[in-house]
Amino acid sequence: MNTQQVDFHDTRVLRSSGLSIFIDNGEIEQISNNYTSGTACRALVKGSWGIVSSDNIGDPENLLFSAAKLSGQAHRISPRQDIKLARVESPLIHDLPVVEKDPADVPIEEKVELLLEIHKRAKIQDVSSSTVMYSESVTEVEYSNSEGLEASYSLVRTGFAVTAVASRNGVFQMGRESKFNVCGYELFDRYDALELAETAGNTARDLLSASVPKGGRMPVILDQELAGVFIHEAVGHATEADHVAEGNSILAGKIGSQIASSCISVMDDPSMHGYGYYPVDDEGVESGPTTLIEEGILKSYLHSRETAAQFPGTGRPGNARSQGLARPIIRMSNTYIENGDSSFEEMLSEIKDGVYLIGSRGGQVNPGEGVFQFNAERGFLVENGELSTPVRDVSLSGHTLDILKHVQMAAGDMKMTSGRCGKGGQLAPVCDGSPHILVREATVGGSG
Amino acid sequence: MNSDINIIFDMAEMAQKAAELSGADEVEVFGLMATSINVDIQLDRIDLAKESFSRGIGVKAVVNGAVGFSSTNDPARIVDAAKAATSSARVRHSDPDWTGLPQACDYRVVKGIHDPGIANIDVETCIDLSMKMIDGAVSLDGAKPTSGKFTCLGSDYVILNSNGVEVREASTSIDGFIECRAGDGNEMSTAYEFDVSRNLDIDFYRIGSEAARQALEGVGGVGVDTCKTDVLLKPNAIADILESTFINSLNSENIQKGRSALAGKLGEKIGADGLDIVDDALLEGGIGSARSDHEGTPSRTNRILENGVLGTYLYDKYTAGKDGVESTGNAVRSNYAQTTYIDVRNLKIEYPASDIIAETQKGVLVGSVIGAHTANPISGDFSVEARNSFLVEDGDIGSPIKSMMVTGNAFELLHNICGAGLDTRVLGNIITPTVKVSGLTIVG
Repeated sequence: MNTQQVDFHDTRVLRSSGLSIFIDNGEIEQISNNYTSGTACRALVKGSWGIVSSDNIGDPENLLFSAAKLSGQAHRISPRQDIKLARVESPLIHDLPVVEKDPADVPIEEKVELLLEIHKRAKIQDVSSSTVMYSESVTEVEYSNSEGLEASYSLVRTGFAVTAVASRNGVFQMGRESKFNVCGYELFDRYDALELAETAGNTARDLLSASVPKGGRMPVILDQELAGVFIHEAVGHATEADHVAEGNSILAGKIGSQIASSCISVMDDPSMHGYGYYPVDDEGVESGPTTLIEEGILKSYLHSRETAAQFPGTGRPGNARSQGLARPIIRMSNTYIENGDSSFEEMLSEIKDGVYLIGSRGGQVNPGEGVFQFNAERGFLVENGELSTPVRDVSLSGHTLDILKHVQMAAGDMKMTSGRCGKGGQLAPVCDGSPHILVREATVGGSG
Repeated sequence: MNSDINIIFDMAEMAQKAAELSGADEVEVFGLMATSINVDIQLDRIDLAKESFSRGIGVKAVVNGAVGFSSTNDPARIVDAAKAATSSARVRHSDPDWTGLPQACDYRVVKGIHDPGIANIDVETCIDLSMKMIDGAVSLDGAKPTSGKFTCLGSDYVILNSNGVEVREASTSIDGFIECRAGDGNEMSTAYEFDVSRNLDIDFYRIGSEAARQALEGVGGVGVDTCKTDVLLKPNAIADILESTFINSLNSENIQKGRSALAGKLGEKIGADGLDIVDDALLEGGIGSARSDHEGTPSRTNRILENGVLGTYLYDKYTAGKDGVESTGNAVRSNYAQTTYIDVRNLKIEYPASDIIAETQKGVLVGSVIGAHTANPISGDFSVEARNSFLVEDGDIGSPIKSMMVTGNAFELLHNICGAGLDTRVLGNIITPTVKVSGLTIVG
């Protein structure tokens, strides 16, 4: 099989370099440099994809030939319905984030000094250890395909995370703060890293004296970070059209229906300058915002070119992303619940008794069954409309659609949090966010 | 999938020389060359076939006991990478706890980790094996596959260091994963199954039919009441819970840095009578088996728990030097771009086996859990969503459970193990049967 016999092919060439520094308990634990390059070629024959990737730039012609052969073999042994790709315009690369301070121009000694200072500030009383992680990277991407579409860009990412562990009488608790973005070393001008370090330390220390609440069903207020994790994990993943195609999404067949309370509107916007930003996706499609939910009504799924053609009228392509040389799969970018018109104070007086959950230690979801679980970093009991006892080791679980319908209020204080999302063995930089939201009833796990 | 190990050996040697020239006292180079074939399944069809070729090196340069690291896959950047490793080491203060890289020594050959049948496999065979998994998944009425993955990997690694260590080894692995669903809407149930091996001995049809069977069994789930009860954690569930808590706490680095609840507990009873935990890096055909760890320390068998008593922590060369003991050979890495970290090799959980379902009057059987990584790694507290779970009543498996959380503490759990099934499974580098634990809390 040669490349003339394939229905479509594309090539991505990546070059990246990065530096990461890890400070553990005030010691420079690791400084790591990385220089990589590679090429991935993808070919489509009828309904089957073939991909060949190779470290180094290699010989793209040769890789493309092998990819064509692979897709031909897959098609011959397990033919399936022809794949059509949604038509796309040539992308315009514009509005790239401007790097004010190239991290490569900052001497490593200066970076180390700052990180050691961050460590010191996290180490307040009762904090027994802390870690500080810094990373910077620059990635150059060149994309081209058999339709003549071409795009290339370079992106700088910088960020840091600080973790504090406090201990007393054999009890250990953790606080964590982080900032990652598509920007240079000016990240540290935009955010007060030292203050964030102190916040991490305070969180860890305060959790020592927090109690574990009794689990059960109750009204819950979610802070911006936890609500962001909820919208990403429980809703965002279910809007990924590959899950829909697999029959593995609770949102399959629900476009146009009311799936959430009318105070919920959700966007995914890779063109926003957050950690999930990209100018074009890994299929060369120019990035743009997608309205996932508008006033409770499901409007769109997230798409690759393949699924956008498969489910016409359910949204635009532009969310196919890959980690390095892996295959592009449908991913979120910067995903958030839009501001509502309520406030945190109103929520407190509304619920009277319940729990306020803050921050996230991660979570997991089964998009097919719509079952999710995530752990809050901490929280407070709400009694008589006021915050009372601080609590820890609390988790939230249940059915996505129940929670969405039970959202009663959204505040006007939206905040975004950066992180990395895993799917199909690939990690992608993402951001998620939300204002405070009030859920009338949810399952809170605690001491039982 | 044949590869020429000499290319990677030459890259490694070049890096070692360049780092030594740039002034490093000691140098270690890890070179890896890997070829993999992946097949992705969507619904009941092959969606994609992928072949990847990867090769690269990671350089550790040591100056006054401080380590700098860099990696590259670009032969033209090897010298840059080696110099960057040395200059990174210079930024750090000297480290008085550094006791040097491992010394050259003899290694025991581990059997069963390289299968020429995998090393020489072609794409057609990989697609055929993936089709078998699909055939199994559609073999039961009412269940359908949603997605799946097949991976075949052949890799050669080399470790060189300035003390004369020179390790070369080739290995292979193969694994299959498929997820199925049954029922619709609110009654939908999903389940996955996988298997992994060093050799071409996996029954791919069984992976598919097992996933389908489990999905079907989950349809029509019932609710549960919140209570304390006996919980039977199937291999996937117990492995996930222990991985994020107990295993993390065995890591000597966490012990030395005050991040482990097991600090100071050597020789103490931390688990139930009859509970043995062994980490065996020489296990024939083990997923974590190799003649050495990724620093070049010879592999060995470590008794972690004997009859519930904690025997050792897991060490690499550096943390062992700090505690004045020998490295346990637990320095590993998942690719060349990463420096070593401490992890288990093949952790076997052993407890006297019996028919634990027949012996359970009232309890729940948990197939897998969601959210184990959210457990508090230090305190061991966890609160996870149980999946593929069933009521157990009067010695029999009863109705599936729709939704339930299991909460508890991993360290208390070790004390409260009171049974193990006859169903020991290899889940990558954890090997365990179903474990019965008394007095865990389930939240309905």
